[in-house]
Amino acid sequence: MNDRSDVLQGTLDMLVLRALQLEPMHGWGIAERIEHWSEHVLQLGQGTLYPGLYRLERQNFIRSEWRITDNNRRARYYSLTARGRKYLNESLEQWRRVSRAINLVLDAVN
Amino acid sequence: MSDQTDVLQGTLDLLILRTIALEPMHGWAIAQRINQISDELLRVQQGSLYPALHRLEHQGWITAEWGASENNRRARFYAVTKAGRKQLATEVEKWERLSAGVNLLLQRT
Amino acid sequence: MRAWHILRSRLTSIVFRDRRESDLSEELRLHLERETERLQATGLSREEARLQALRLFGGVEQIKEAARDARGTGAWDALVRDTRHGLRRLLRDWRFTTAAVLILGIAIGANTAIFSVVNAVLFRKQTFADANRLVNIYQNDRSGKPMVVISYAAYMEMAEYTDIFSGTMASSIPNPVRYLAEGAVRNAVAEFSSANYLNVLGLQPSLGRWFDATEERRGAPLVAVLGHQAWTRLFHADPSIVGRVIRMEGLPVTIIGVGPANLRGTLDVGLGTDFWLPITAVPELISPMGALRDAPTILAPLFVKARLRDGVTVAQARAAMDVLARRLADEYPDAFRNSGEFALGPGITVIPSTDVRVHPQADVPFMALASIVLFIVGLVLAIACSNLATLLLVRGAARAKEVSVRLAMGATRRQLVRHLLIESLLLSLAGGIVGCVLAWWGMRALQTIDLPFRVDMHVDYRVLAFAIVLSLITGVVFGLAPAIKATRVDLLQTLRDEGLQPIDHRRLTLKNALIVVQVAISVLLLGGTSIFLQATAATRALRVGYAVDGVAMLETDWRFAGYSESAAKTAQDDLLRRIEAIPGVESAALLRGLPMVSTGMSIVVDSATGQPGSEVEFHMLEAGPGFFDTLRIPLLYGRVFDARDRADSPRVAVITETMARKYFGAVDAVGRRFRLKADPNSWTEVIGIVRDTGTGDFEDDVLAPIGPTYYRSYTQSGAQATTVLARTSRDAASLIAAMQRELRAVDITLPAITAKTMAQRLEESQTAPAVVATLFAILAGLGLVLASIGLYAVVAFAVARRSREIGIRMALGARSQQVVSSIARGVAALIAVGTGIGLFFTVLLMLVMRAGGGSADVGIGHMSVYRPSIDPLALLGIAAVTALVGVAAAFVPARRATRLHPLVALRHE
Repeated sequence: MNDRSDVLQGTLDMLVLRALQLEPMHGWGIAERIEHWSEHVLQLGQGTLYPGLYRLERQNFIRSEWRITDNNRRARYYSLTARGRKYLNESLEQWRRVSRAINLVLDAVN
Repeated sequence: MSDQTDVLQGTLDLLILRTIALEPMHGWAIAQRINQISDELLRVQQGSLYPALHRLEHQGWITAEWGASENNRRARFYAVTKAGRKQLATEVEKWERLSAGVNLLLQRT
Repeated sequence: MRAWHILRSRLTSIVFRDRRESDLSEELRLHLERETERLQATGLSREEARLQALRLFGGVEQIKEAARDARGTGAWDALVRDTRHGLRRLLRDWRFTTAAVLILGIAIGANTAIFSVVNAVLFRKQTFADANRLVNIYQNDRSGKPMVVISYAAYMEMAEYTDIFSGTMASSIPNPVRYLAEGAVRNAVAEFSSANYLNVLGLQPSLGRWFDATEERRGAPLVAVLGHQAWTRLFHADPSIVGRVIRMEGLPVTIIGVGPANLRGTLDVGLGTDFWLPITAVPELISPMGALRDAPTILAPLFVKARLRDGVTVAQARAAMDVLARRLADEYPDAFRNSGEFALGPGITVIPSTDVRVHPQADVPFMALASIVLFIVGLVLAIACSNLATLLLVRGAARAKEVSVRLAMGATRRQLVRHLLIESLLLSLAGGIVGCVLAWWGMRALQTIDLPFRVDMHVDYRVLAFAIVLSLITGVVFGLAPAIKATRVDLLQTLRDEGLQPIDHRRLTLKNALIVVQVAISVLLLGGTSIFLQATAATRALRVGYAVDGVAMLETDWRFAGYSESAAKTAQDDLLRRIEAIPGVESAALLRGLPMVSTGMSIVVDSATGQPGSEVEFHMLEAGPGFFDTLRIPLLYGRVFDARDRADSPRVAVITETMARKYFGAVDAVGRRFRLKADPNSWTEVIGIVRDTGTGDFEDDVLAPIGPTYYRSYTQSGAQATTVLARTSRDAASLIAAMQRELRAVDITLPAITAKTMAQRLEESQTAPAVVATLFAILAGLGLVLASIGLYAVVAFAVARRSREIGIRMALGARSQQVVSSIARGVAALIAVGTGIGLFFTVLLMLVMRAGGGSADVGIGHMSVYRPSIDPLALLGIAAVTALVGVAAAFVPARRATRLHPLVALRHE
């Protein structure tokens, strides 16, 4: 992200899991998908993405396996686990609450 | 929940600046206000409030002074500086962009 | 703008950190209170509420820490913390710390002290007003080089050039004079100068006035100006000094003023001048120089300085002086024809005063001397630094394990390097402070030594600053390298085993190299000491040539008691008779001046038949009958003075064999004649030839080749004999008291200026070289001590490292001797190599000195360098001493190794 990455570590996790909700993807594909879906607002660098993937896998929210891509190249594909799906839903809920709260503070006129 | 903390950490500066932009407050009051307004959704980790306040002061965005609060108790009041207000505007814009982006992403199916 | 604010915040945080801390504490406390109250309001008891509040809050200390970090004082706090930690660490390893601090302190202290002295003597320059308008003027010799002497006539001519110079002045070299103060005769230094001396220099007297033109006249009442330092030191800055009359060389001299505070003397060498007198007072106080105005071509040791008029350049002055030079050559052709030592040449040199220290010819050897001294001190410093480096390296290696552990526990390499660096800096700072203290104390000690010349010494603060900077740099350089090396340690390797590498004396490790260097330098210093001791001993034995034991001397000055010439003659004969009557006295004689110090150097024209022959310079002594007998100087041909030789009888002289051989072609020159250059009627006949003698003055013996001497009798020349010599079969020391009694019996007011034995006189004339030799010895000893400390450290470390191996060996039955011998072999190799290198350079130095030794003409006289003999015994001695010291140093830790109980050694980690 072109914001402080520490800010959005939690948010990043959520975004990655969301991106994988549809179908398994390799790392580069995940980054591309996120960027595309947010209409280029959110851009992930490799330095942010891969540590994130590693962390998620360690916590068992995703798993990975080697596959052959369309153009016959080897790549590591990531996919959601059941645990990950549950975590994703909770995170989504969280995000909605928190961002609404923040906006409340920001809009407070008093 | 860790998510809450993370997002909160990142936007803490923003929230603080916004809160005291309305009127100068002391640390405890800031925490209370944020709590109130957000319907208890944002429980500011009080331990992280003070380092944040000091950081903001170090950067020159807020100033601090001893004063007397309601019921005449001693407290350290924080107020926004002119540079602080500019920074607030920047932070708000950043947040809006970010949240817009995330929401877009989340709406896609 | 932001950066400024951040910086200011950081500084304020540092400055007001205490207040900040208390503010924060209070703020947090208040917050907690409020939160507690709030929770209480929800129904919890005060205790529960408080606990809850604390829990919500999080750790207070962490918060404070985080807040501190946020304030940006993190770095500073870390520094303070590291420093405190480093201090604790150093105090724990107090043995190492003490050694390191001492080493550095001694090196810096010695360096500072000696450099301050050298600086005071050689480098400090006086500043005169508008110093770049001042020029020094010299007459040249035949080869065009400026001389130290100048003819007064030439000076007078120069003074006429008022369109070039706004003022000219001449000043003599500093002369020793004696004056009477508080009943005792004291030695002082005087310059004889022109009346406009101060004007030319652009200075003002600090009290009273300088002498003027009316006082610069033959026969005028004698006046003097007291030097400022002398005024403070000798007369306690008493303002009533102006107008006081003191007796100098027996004559009444009125003090009319005190010189400016920043004037030490005309020469810039740290020698202070005590009195300034008019140049015309010379013939009365120091008679052999003669009446300068009357003998224009006589060359006198005068220094001429002139101030250029505004707008006049040095080039213009040079051009004008060239014209003058040519005119002088035309007007005084005879002056340029002499072939003596100071052969006048047609030429005048003009040099800006700021380019000269003493004299253009003397400056070079002067600076060379200074450089040598500095080099030697530099050697000691080199030892100290390499020693410190060794210690630091050893320590770094010993702490490898600790470093590995810390690295494993998460410390960054940067942090560790910083820690070690801070320790090194603390060490070097402490060393610097110790050095300052030692330097100051050393200077005080030096000042108590009575040197023949006065040196204004104090600790030069520039040098001190340099020394401290040097110590810091040393600490950084030699602390950083081991620090980096230590942190580069292979974690696993170190944690697993102890690095069982033996102390490999074959490998060229840095530690080994440093030890070798230290040993080599120590040997070199010892070699230097031995050379110096050799030189001193040699000169001592060299040229005495006369009786020393049993001879005593007593010197007085008739003028101090107001004796006229005729009265003095009677009195001195009376004194001689009385001394001869003292029981035990075998022989006595009168002499002018102190024995073997020539009272004049006259230029003599040799002639066999009356034609002017070669002109040479000789030493002359005025002694009376009985002189040669008293000093047991062997007579080779002819006779010595006796009652026949009186004022009205033909002039006679006794000459030395060298003079006879050189200028009359044969040792038996009895009957030959010569005369003084200045006086055509002074034909003197040689009546006797005696053996050569030394002058008894170390400097003379070293600096001048043995000079041809002639003796004439004071009974003929009418000079006042001031010294009585006596030889006794009994103890010379007891004779002195008897001689003084007789002197008082002649006249109670006569001062005993010098009363000592010949042996004492010889001793004293060798103080200077003795001091140097002692200094050398101290430095050498220092070097050796330092080298041994280094050796000890290295061996101790090696033993510690190998203790496990040693333990195993011993458990397996090896005897302690075997273990020790293997360590010893390593140590011996290091010492041997170091000694070898050191000896090599020592011998090299000796060879160089031999080659370049002998006499050399440097324009202001002769200078000879001692030619040391390469004494194998001395070299062996040096090697033995070094080896002994080295072995002793290594012995202790090695022995300790053998005492290790095998179990202990094995357990040792």
